[in-house]
Amino acid sequence: MPLGTLDDTPPPFFRQGPSALSKLTLFSALALFLMVADARFEIAKPLRVVVASVLYPVQWLVLQPVLLAQGGAQYFESLKSSQTREAAAHRQLAAQSQRANQVEQLALENSRLRQLLGLRDKVSTSWQAAQVLYDAADPYTHKVVIDRGALEGVLAGSPVLDENGVLGQVTRVYPMVSEVTLVTDRDQAIPVLNTRTGARGVAFGDPAVRANALELRYMAANADVQAGDLLTTSGVDGVYPPGLPVARVEKVERRVDSAFARITCQALALVSGVGQVMVLKPIATQIAPRPAIEPPSTTVRKRGKR
Amino acid sequence: MIMRPGHQLLLPANPFFIFGSLLAALGLNMLQNMGLFGRAAWTPDFMALVLVFWSIHQPQRIGVGVAFVFGILVDVHQGALLGQQALAYTVLSFLAIAIHRRLLWFPVPSQALQVFPLFAAAHAIELICRLAAGGAFPGWLILLAPVLESLLWPVVSVILLAPQRRSPDPDAHRPL
Repeated sequence: MPLGTLDDTPPPFFRQGPSALSKLTLFSALALFLMVADARFEIAKPLRVVVASVLYPVQWLVLQPVLLAQGGAQYFESLKSSQTREAAAHRQLAAQSQRANQVEQLALENSRLRQLLGLRDKVSTSWQAAQVLYDAADPYTHKVVIDRGALEGVLAGSPVLDENGVLGQVTRVYPMVSEVTLVTDRDQAIPVLNTRTGARGVAFGDPAVRANALELRYMAANADVQAGDLLTTSGVDGVYPPGLPVARVEKVERRVDSAFARITCQALALVSGVGQVMVLKPIATQIAPRPAIEPPSTTVRKRGKR
Repeated sequence: MIMRPGHQLLLPANPFFIFGSLLAALGLNMLQNMGLFGRAAWTPDFMALVLVFWSIHQPQRIGVGVAFVFGILVDVHQGALLGQQALAYTVLSFLAIAIHRRLLWFPVPSQALQVFPLFAAAHAIELICRLAAGGAFPGWLILLAPVLESLLWPVVSVILLAPQRRSPDPDAHRPL
């Protein structure tokens, strides 16, 4: 038998390096520090970007067979189903054409009225198209990854839309890809306007109910909200342009024991299985900056002296 | 070295194969996420499986430090809290090293039973970290993940030990 074929080298007696327990202590402390740094402070961000750039070639390589399989599935899709889809798209286009044709006239009328009233021009935003690559793997949040990153000029905080409504907001930007937090994420809030009543509110994701559910919070128990109301972005936040459809109210529960109604909505964007999306620039760069908050006056007025 | 009864004498493990298998496990995790199941919580974590395997079979080469580094990589890929998988894998690797002398005396099916608490502990650590940091509970299907991982233990044992089971000098009767 040739030499060096047996794995029988005895472990070194004295130089074994630090013990497993001390390594466990060191690396657990490091991991805890990283978690606190990531959750509370911004200092872990550069590390994340560097590691993501290192990891990108591996992700790209793994993604290729996935894209190939998806492309192959589309290739073998039957002629009939694609014809059905085309007919449905034509019907939708015809239904929209009447409203779309009025847009030019309405926009002209709107701009003249604004001039008449001396209002500011409406904010117009630039946009770029992107494709959703995959769902981010973290099961504790609702995020997707799109194929445009900092190199293509995506900014953190940009709103993301699909053909039906607001999909979410870019929350992390890497050089080649970015992460979009969906409106259905529990921590994602979006200011909305009820188009029937004009009442403003804030909608939060509610994944405990269903994958595409939102909750309209902080509405009084006797607020005028009905099932079927359309919620659009209100535009007061400096992020989303006004008037983009977000969700439709599904169920309103008015409970005796609570001062607030529990309002469940359904997201209009296809939060699962979405393909092409649009990334807008945040409108905060175009609107006038918020006035600085005046510091409370330091001169203390003496009592009784008026 | 004491030979275990019925135990085959193994070739030395190739370091390139070890790190290649770790990278392949990372790729498999990504493939499950990108192509097959999305953000499902029940999917088996191949990275954890392969890390435990090498921590038990080659504790001199793969230990707590390597587990930590791969944990950071998985965290960044998932877009999760940076350090949650790193902590889980660190503890996982430590526990694996702690039981590695005892475990290999058992046949492979009962090994699978004995590594189950390790995987359960790793998932519990991850869950506790995330819930403490304000994440939403991902659903009860997460309990399936450690079960699937220990069911895959025999498969991984066969695949990853195959290169070491070759005969040292292949001939016509033993081509491998």
